[in-house]
Amino acid sequence: MAENKEARIGVFVCHCGTNIAGSIDVGAVAEYAKTLPNVVHADEYQYMCSTPGQTKIMDAIKEKDLTGVVVAACSPRLHEPTFRTASAEGGLNPFRFEMANIREQNSWVHMHDREGATEKAKDSVRIAVAKASLLEDLIPKSVPVEKAALVVGGGVAGMQAALDLGSAGIKTYLIEREPSIGGRMSQLDKTFPTLDCSQCILTPKMVDVGRHPNIELMTYTEVEEVEGYIGNFEVTLRKKARGVMFPDEAEAKGIVGGGCNGCGDCAEVCPVIKGNKFELDMAPRKAVYINHPQVMPLIYTVDFNTCIKCGLCVEACGDKKAIDLDMVDEFVKIKVGTAILATGYDLFPIENKTEWGYKKYENVITGLEFERLICASGPTGGHLIRPSDGETPKKVAFVLCAGSRDNTGVGKPYCSRFCCMYSLKHAHQIIEKIPGAQPYILYMDIRSFGKMYEEFYYRIQDEGAKFIRGRVANILEDATTKNLHVYTEDTLLQRPIDLEVDLVVLASAVQPSAGADTVRKLFGVSNSQDGWMLEAHPKLNPCGTTTAGVFLAGVCQGPKDIPDTVAQAEGAASAASIPIHMGQVDLEPYFAQCVEEKCAGCGMCVNLCPYSALALVEKEGRKVMQVTEAKCKGCGTCGGFCPGGAIRMQHFTTPQIVAQIDAFLLGGEQ
Amino acid sequence: MHEYAFFLGCIAPNRYPGCEASAIKTSEKVGIKLLPLCGASCCPAPGAFGSIDLNIWYAMAARNVVLAEQMDRDIALICNGCYKSIYEVNHILKHNDELRDGVNEVLKEIDMEYKGSIDVWHLAELYYDPKICGVDKIRESVTRPLTDTKIAVHYGCHLMKPRKERHFGDSDHPMWIEELVEALGAEPVQYRNKMQCCGAGGGVRGFDLEHSLDITNEKMINLQEVGADALTEVCPFCQLQYDRGQVEIEEKFGIKYGLPVLHYNELLGLAQGMSPDELALDLHAVDCTPFLEKIL
Amino acid sequence: MATQKDYGNPSLENKLRDRYYYSDDTNRDFTQEVEKIGRTIAHMCYQCGTCTGSCPSAPRSSYRIRLFMRRAVLGLEDEALTDPDLWLCTTCYSCTDRCPRGIAPTDVIMAMRNLAARRDIVPRNFLKTVQAIYTTGHGVPNNDVNRAARVKLGMDAEPPTTCKYPEYIEGIKAIIDHYGLKDRADRILSEGE
Repeated sequence: MAENKEARIGVFVCHCGTNIAGSIDVGAVAEYAKTLPNVVHADEYQYMCSTPGQTKIMDAIKEKDLTGVVVAACSPRLHEPTFRTASAEGGLNPFRFEMANIREQNSWVHMHDREGATEKAKDSVRIAVAKASLLEDLIPKSVPVEKAALVVGGGVAGMQAALDLGSAGIKTYLIEREPSIGGRMSQLDKTFPTLDCSQCILTPKMVDVGRHPNIELMTYTEVEEVEGYIGNFEVTLRKKARGVMFPDEAEAKGIVGGGCNGCGDCAEVCPVIKGNKFELDMAPRKAVYINHPQVMPLIYTVDFNTCIKCGLCVEACGDKKAIDLDMVDEFVKIKVGTAILATGYDLFPIENKTEWGYKKYENVITGLEFERLICASGPTGGHLIRPSDGETPKKVAFVLCAGSRDNTGVGKPYCSRFCCMYSLKHAHQIIEKIPGAQPYILYMDIRSFGKMYEEFYYRIQDEGAKFIRGRVANILEDATTKNLHVYTEDTLLQRPIDLEVDLVVLASAVQPSAGADTVRKLFGVSNSQDGWMLEAHPKLNPCGTTTAGVFLAGVCQGPKDIPDTVAQAEGAASAASIPIHMGQVDLEPYFAQCVEEKCAGCGMCVNLCPYSALALVEKEGRKVMQVTEAKCKGCGTCGGFCPGGAIRMQHFTTPQIVAQIDAFLLGGEQ
Repeated sequence: MHEYAFFLGCIAPNRYPGCEASAIKTSEKVGIKLLPLCGASCCPAPGAFGSIDLNIWYAMAARNVVLAEQMDRDIALICNGCYKSIYEVNHILKHNDELRDGVNEVLKEIDMEYKGSIDVWHLAELYYDPKICGVDKIRESVTRPLTDTKIAVHYGCHLMKPRKERHFGDSDHPMWIEELVEALGAEPVQYRNKMQCCGAGGGVRGFDLEHSLDITNEKMINLQEVGADALTEVCPFCQLQYDRGQVEIEEKFGIKYGLPVLHYNELLGLAQGMSPDELALDLHAVDCTPFLEKIL
Repeated sequence: MATQKDYGNPSLENKLRDRYYYSDDTNRDFTQEVEKIGRTIAHMCYQCGTCTGSCPSAPRSSYRIRLFMRRAVLGLEDEALTDPDLWLCTTCYSCTDRCPRGIAPTDVIMAMRNLAARRDIVPRNFLKTVQAIYTTGHGVPNNDVNRAARVKLGMDAEPPTTCKYPEYIEGIKAIIDHYGLKDRADRILSEGE
């Protein structure tokens, strides 16, 4: 509509309260707009994004028969959709709307130069009007959305997200690279502040995931490759060779009543002993193993890196014939509409902070090692012991901020968020389990920020934990007793401290899981400055990413406790379900177009396209280029390159861009 | 032969000349030639001088470096305190134009110019570096192994710290000087808090002798616990603090230790067959005889 | 600014003197000078106590490096420069080695010492060292016992430093005189007699 009509542009300049008006003479800009060619309406308002503001746009379109709208306000990243919708409701194609950013790129950075800022705003408006005069109707392309979702990571975040998606009727692939789901939470003993048994509250979710009709659980599986775009991701998964068959896999091979039933006969006879990673190498496992009796799925795994292929396990398995030592990795291709990354965290290698003697002194352990030792299902049956002699420690020092809040370049500059709380919990557990024990908490701050957290801090202090406000400088070991001397200052007493204890627990910093970087790059997700995955907006969009259709859940986006992890997982699941439930997703119509009369069919553009969206086709006896619009991102590489000028970038056509440049350089005081 | 300008400092040449003599002789045996750096002065003592005016400290240290630049040789030295002054000022001036220009303005008055053309090394690190010498070469040069002796190592402070401005790695549990001691045939022993300061630096030995001796005494207690036959260090100032310090501790605190204190170069000299006389060990305040009896 | 108490009784006024910290006690310039001379970001200290926890002097005196850092942050110039504990730092650099904020507390002490010296607050032993270096080029000059020992070792009685080449002492004097330090040292030492 209105293709051949003369341009009639409406300009609206926003005050944005004092955000823009504080640095720019908005009235002057609106007055100036009236003098520009093609402008038939110019107005200003306090908050253009408000209902009255948008109504102004709609009314003006109708009353003044506008062919294009310019709003000079904030960044299009914020309100371009708002004003496009307003334009559409006024009867105009939404792509006849152009935005001039006079806030982020003007008033907010030129706060001390009102005159300069105002002149710059006039320039921005002039440029926008020039483009708006040449905008055309564009129709977004709808692509169907695959009714399936992928969740990468089977910790509590991934599990919760998968459960929500599955329960919303969406087929969900939950993949986990370890042999079992559960993640870090299944390594914990109790959770603060409720002191729930971690496994007890987690295993119901694990079981739900295992038997949910809509969740296809693939453990011991990793992402190999990702292609496509929102609504149509083609993901290649690598199902690592487990060496052990599921019952249905065995059935498929004709072994009736076969497949692994978790009996463990194989592990009994396996001669290879390795460290159990789940128990942080404080307990052994065999080359064929499960990490603990509550794994999901309850299927053994052969660690082919250490298996010597002696075959004793195959014998022990007998008729079930569940073990296949010749199994190899298998590649599976799936198609999903959206994906959620929930890859969790690792502990920072705290031995790098040599002052605390981790891995040099036996009785210095990490918080996670403490969890396993105090856990009833752990390597010591829940008895906290000193690694050096197996004795029960009475005096235990908890070193907070170990490796966190560290600007030396060795540790991490951020706060790891949950260590204050778990150290309080650990202190409680010691007081509860070991009569006469004295925990010392050596801290800079106690960050008990969440619901019922401050009350928990009160409780632990009441129970008798001693708090010493001082960051631990260094730790020395007594060569005979293997006791530790912890050196710090009680900054509140202003006295240096030499604290002799039986055991030291370092509340180590956390960092993204090993391999998280590889996974996020496959999905096109960036890193934040601190190394965690980058969310779309830290306040308004913490679950999304800047890649449409990919979402984040849990600690992979930044350290957080279990309540926040579960909340974010539910948020990510909700966001990930929207395109799937809508059934289709609109792609912005910035596609390249082949101007066939001019196309020489040289094909040079085809290889340049980073999204493989172009191809040469036969048309009326000659070769011309064709765009697969669903793949085209409108990046402009082909358009900028085509030697014949045969490619037209919609919404960023050459005439439009030239008009902007001309308006800037040649326009001005007229 | 790797040649270096030998920066002497003050305490080695003027109180423990055996350190200077042994450094020259023993280094030659392992392929390091120490050439005299004529006209060098006090580094200047970082604690004493730096505390009063860092600008003068930069200028005086730079003057010493320029003497070596004029010889076109890197500097080798045997004292942690000198290392701090000479190595650190050289490093700072190489990377800080403003300070460098300030220093050169002063040096101009005496017709000198700091160019930043040489590097500064502690002799111990040259011994350890396999590209220059290496632990094996040290071992090969030993003719009188210090067998059956337990020797504790005092690393001192300015050599290794602050680690982000040095290149020696872990400043909490280093073991490289123990390797050099082991190469002499001795048994290095660990002791509590081996990385603690001797107490002398920062002008404290002069400002409050008893305070500095109390710090030294804490180390002596830890050393006594492990039954060391000798203590070795790579800093003549630490050596002074431990050596004279034991006599002062006996006077002031009434405690006698009698633990011989030898600079690594003195040990290396003994291990290469130099006699106690050639090392002027009789100048030591603490009698070295108990240790010498074990090795001679 | 602390309120003055006018009770006509100096010892009473001293006992009851106003201990409050007032915002105008802060001298911003002092903080900046300390940071400039010490070349370290002293204002970033978050008082964790790692420095005092590492300090060999703290367990045997009232010296607290963390308190000096606090004074640097709050710009409490007089308190910092007149505290005799300022001179108990052995410059072992353990605090700097471990500071999680990447600050060099040792260099803050050195900067404060420099600023104290500008006020003529300097212990005598430091100035004596200056005099020794000025006259001989060495903080620990040669002596006859040592000369004899050197000769016995087959070396020159004088090491090849300013000892053997006293002509270089001129250069050292020039540097020290450029900053007028010798005269100041002499004056302060004689005033103390």
